[in-house]
Amino acid sequence: MKLSILGFALRALSRRKARAFALGGGLAFAVALIAAVIFMTEALRGEAERAHAAHADIVVQKLVGGRPTTISASEAAKIADIPSVRSVTPRVWGYFFLPSLQGNVTIIGTAKNAQPLTIASGVLAEGRDITPGEHEMIAGAELAQFLGLRPGDELGLPSWNFDAHALKLVGTFRSSLDLYTADVLICDEDDARALLDLPRGDATDLAVTLSNTAEARVVARTITERLPGARVIERDLLARVYHLAYGRRAGFVLGASIPAILALLVLAWDRASGLGPDERKEIAVLKAVGWSTSEVLWAKLFESLLVGASATALGLLLGYAWIFWLGAPGLRPALVGWSVLYPRAALTPVVDLAQLLGISLSVMGPFALLSVVPAWRAATTDPLETMRT
Amino acid sequence: MNNSSARRIATILVLSPVLVITGLAYDAHARRAAAQNDVAAIDAVASRLPTSDLALSGGARWLRAISLEEPGAAFADGPALPDPDPAGAAMAPPVELWSATTTATPHAAQTGSAGKK
Repeated sequence: MKLSILGFALRALSRRKARAFALGGGLAFAVALIAAVIFMTEALRGEAERAHAAHADIVVQKLVGGRPTTISASEAAKIADIPSVRSVTPRVWGYFFLPSLQGNVTIIGTAKNAQPLTIASGVLAEGRDITPGEHEMIAGAELAQFLGLRPGDELGLPSWNFDAHALKLVGTFRSSLDLYTADVLICDEDDARALLDLPRGDATDLAVTLSNTAEARVVARTITERLPGARVIERDLLARVYHLAYGRRAGFVLGASIPAILALLVLAWDRASGLGPDERKEIAVLKAVGWSTSEVLWAKLFESLLVGASATALGLLLGYAWIFWLGAPGLRPALVGWSVLYPRAALTPVVDLAQLLGISLSVMGPFALLSVVPAWRAATTDPLETMRT
Repeated sequence: MNNSSARRIATILVLSPVLVITGLAYDAHARRAAAQNDVAAIDAVASRLPTSDLALSGGARWLRAISLEEPGAAFADGPALPDPDPAGAAMAPPVELWSATTTATPHAAQTGSAGKK
């Protein structure tokens, strides 16, 4: 019986095609927009967290005038003997403005004991790792492409420091690592120091590795006591950065959601404000030919379900295809920022079954339920009176 | 449209979210499985990077490594310079994180009135 009513509901909708398509189209658009924003922010957070485990347990910076400045590498000795500290590494890295690029490149000095990067390990697309002292560099695929560099080419960066050597490109990162390496240029520590004009004996910051990460808070407190004025950043707290930075529904995310929410409100208002004269007449005819009130309510509920379910399915499909199949054209640069060196690597979906079900139910549930009240009102009035008016 | 075909189409439409959700969940799972191949490479390259922050805003120094930036950095680098990243609000600075960062206890200020009655 319920299936017959379902079939009747579809035929009733086909008699009001324009209205059904307008309602369904608006709802599908709203679902697609909201779903796309959620898919994208979750994927970005997931990408950032994928590399989180390799981050130093604690980073120590020096602040002067409220801004980070270089820290003396000798300060590492004050930290090294704290119980639970396994190693303290002074790091040399920084930003370098390239006028030809009109953007910043992140220059990273490689410590002498660093693990080698190879094509076999999936890090490099071509070439090899740098050899210390040979004035070589590895660049992100996007950066190398922008500068028109191929392995073997040399690049002289416009540094103020005349000791800075031209660097020979010996390898490029795989483009699938673009999200981490698009603007990265790795060279040996001496070259990085010369390019960034960092005095010998100074470091950008100190990376602290712990033997017991559970003691990070205690170690951080000890560091602040030994190095007053230092800024101590713990890795566990960094995990929250990604939730806060990518999870916010602010700026464009909020701006994108407002029209979607408004569309949903308009649809809800349309449902809640009652039925049109044609629909009321249809209900009156159904009652006159012997349909019970509950059968009329089922028919109206099925009509809403048909529109809501198909619009939700279409919206989810469009939102997913937009982000993961098409690469989020339009939304990606606006949502995650833009740069001359823009990573083009595909995002990995983090979305799970519960999230998809949550989006669907939060749209379909209210939409279907809102249709019951006006249908119940129409179904409980005298059919003759309705047909006369 | 006869009764049976209407019933069939209507059933498919009502069940369409289930079909789509199942399909998308499967596609997402397959993509996550494929991305697992990059985990070793990401770990290897991340050990050389100063931070695991994504390279989304290379032009904006204060957004390139958001987890390491200083609390007062979310501004242009000079007066009247254009904001290099219009999505600044979407990637707002992590204020809650900074407030939770371990800091040294400042020395108590001397008021000069201690002991006066």
